Amino acid sequence: MGKVEYDDVWKQFPTRDAPAVRGLTLDIADGEFLVLLGPSGCGKTTALRMLAGLEQLDKGDIRIDGKSVVALEPKDRDVALVFQSYALYPHMTVRDNIQYPLKVRRQTAAERSSKVERAAKLLRIEHLLPRKPAQLSGGEQQRVALARAIVREPRVFLMDEPLSNLDAKLRTHTRTELKALQQQLGVTTIFVTHDQAEAMTMADRIAVLDAGELQQLGTPDTVYQRPANLFVAQFIGSPPMNILDATRDGDALVTAGGWRIAAPRRLDGGAATLKLGLRPEAIDLALANGGGAQAAEVLVSEPLGSEVIVNVKLGDALLKVRTAPEVRPDPGTRVYLRAAPEGVRVFDAASGAALN
Amino acid sequence: MVEGARVSIGSEARVQTIVPPRVRPLGAGSRLEWVLMHIAFVVITVFFLAPFVWLFTAAFDAQAKAYIRFPSQPTLDNFVQIFDKYAFATALGNSVFVAVSTMILTVAVVALAGYSLSRIELRQKAWITYAILLLQTMPLSATMVPIYGLARELGLRNSYLGLILVHSAIELPFLVWLMKGFFDSVPRQLEEAAWLDGRGKLRALFEIVLPVARPGIAVAAGLSFLSAWAEVLMVLILVDQQNMKTIPLAFYETFRTAGGYNEVQYGLIAAMGVLYVLPVMAVFFATRRLMVRGLMNSTRGL
Repeated sequence: MGKVEYDDVWKQFPTRDAPAVRGLTLDIADGEFLVLLGPSGCGKTTALRMLAGLEQLDKGDIRIDGKSVVALEPKDRDVALVFQSYALYPHMTVRDNIQYPLKVRRQTAAERSSKVERAAKLLRIEHLLPRKPAQLSGGEQQRVALARAIVREPRVFLMDEPLSNLDAKLRTHTRTELKALQQQLGVTTIFVTHDQAEAMTMADRIAVLDAGELQQLGTPDTVYQRPANLFVAQFIGSPPMNILDATRDGDALVTAGGWRIAAPRRLDGGAATLKLGLRPEAIDLALANGGGAQAAEVLVSEPLGSEVIVNVKLGDALLKVRTAPEVRPDPGTRVYLRAAPEGVRVFDAASGAALN
Repeated sequence: MVEGARVSIGSEARVQTIVPPRVRPLGAGSRLEWVLMHIAFVVITVFFLAPFVWLFTAAFDAQAKAYIRFPSQPTLDNFVQIFDKYAFATALGNSVFVAVSTMILTVAVVALAGYSLSRIELRQKAWITYAILLLQTMPLSATMVPIYGLARELGLRNSYLGLILVHSAIELPFLVWLMKGFFDSVPRQLEEAAWLDGRGKLRALFEIVLPVARPGIAVAAGLSFLSAWAEVLMVLILVDQQNMKTIPLAFYETFRTAGGYNEVQYGLIAAMGVLYVLPVMAVFFATRRLMVRGLMNSTRGL
């Protein structure tokens, strides 16, 4: 079991002007893989450390399995944390590192040994057991840190950017392995990262944070397809969502540059100024005018192998359009754009909130 | 560790761009340079080794002089005499007991104080740490009279406790600073990991932080032992009973009573010198790796 609740949690560091975490409320289900995603300084690590007991709360409550843990010492919370730096004990062998939490719990040598072997086998680090951490590569250290976390079967795993010290190739590989491992163990996991690709690929749900505030909580699909506000829209996705100034004209939205797009049917409120968001793949690019399309000029095409990102100029705005690999218009080519109706997102320009 | 590696690669790269290409690697100079360099090495080595050579030759020489001469008939007579006539065993015992006790007390205090200053958030912490360092700037001789008075009032003259307390206090401020530096270099995450693994704060300190800060402990131990071992002034004012004297006082005593200023008994003094130097050298050789690493203030790669 490992159901985690943040209930209106606030945290202000004395050395900073703004609160690090403002009124965070989150329910994390047992066995869920939740990613806390946001730019650096958004409060995601602080939120994690408060759950671990390494930072005190100013206000609010944190519960595990319905019981408040706020008053408990870190050692009594039964959560495991994988640090960004891995925090392996440098004076102990890998074996001693992994069995340290078991020793603390006074398990017998036989019990410890069998659990260490099992964890080491799961992470394929049996051959590293007699070594010291300084003799390991970054990827190996990361596995040892994971082994130390899983060996004691905690209620909750916490991971603070555990992949950020790995090189790009290993990171992608470990991402997959970590996700598989979590599914196999079924332990509630809270994973902190600033890398939206990590969040999208691993999470059951993503909690997007900015400036200490929860911006959106949802599945990767929801967060990507239906961002709750402009911040989420621009933070998630690579390349990010195209955002255009727009005004309302009857049933249509008119963007800067004069592109008329049919307004989504359900559009809340009568905000004075709007922003219109289109994912690069929500724009259809054609070389011939099929009628009703908006003309624009190609600035540059960026082939990425499986796809091409075409940068087009529309008035003063620059749009990124995702196309098939064979569509590679030269700079200066006139192209015709059409917005996919289901891909049109409208935001209140003043508050940033999504309106549809 | 990964970050550390990256940093060092970066600095190497920077060094390469700064060093002008004219500079030749060591040893690639002319023959004359090579000869001059070696002459310099030899002169410096002889300069520093000469006192040791004198000490170890004079100690085994019944007619030792103030200059180096190799004994025609090496003898242990000097050693026999200092133990028989000059009660050197008592002085040696006192010195060992006082220095080792001082070392243990000092290490315990500076480890806990350094850790507290490194980890605990205190208001005015900067001022407290500077105030501690300020204490170190006070010359020992300036506090000599009050220390004497205080020791007399408290009955700490001619007592081991008095010597140990005073000797511990001498290097304490500096060593607290030194240990604070070592604890600052031990990542906080190591302790936090131990807490989350289920350890309380005190045991995490003993099982994780202190072992990682071991080079610092070694330096604190070495320096506190040395300072107590070599201290003269405080022993001079705190001790006047024969059976409480430490080696430095035994030196003076022997020098004064055996021949005096006119007929200095160099052989006896040298024999005492050998027995005074050997324990320190032994301690240094036993702990040299830790000491060197500690003095370079690095806890990496343990």
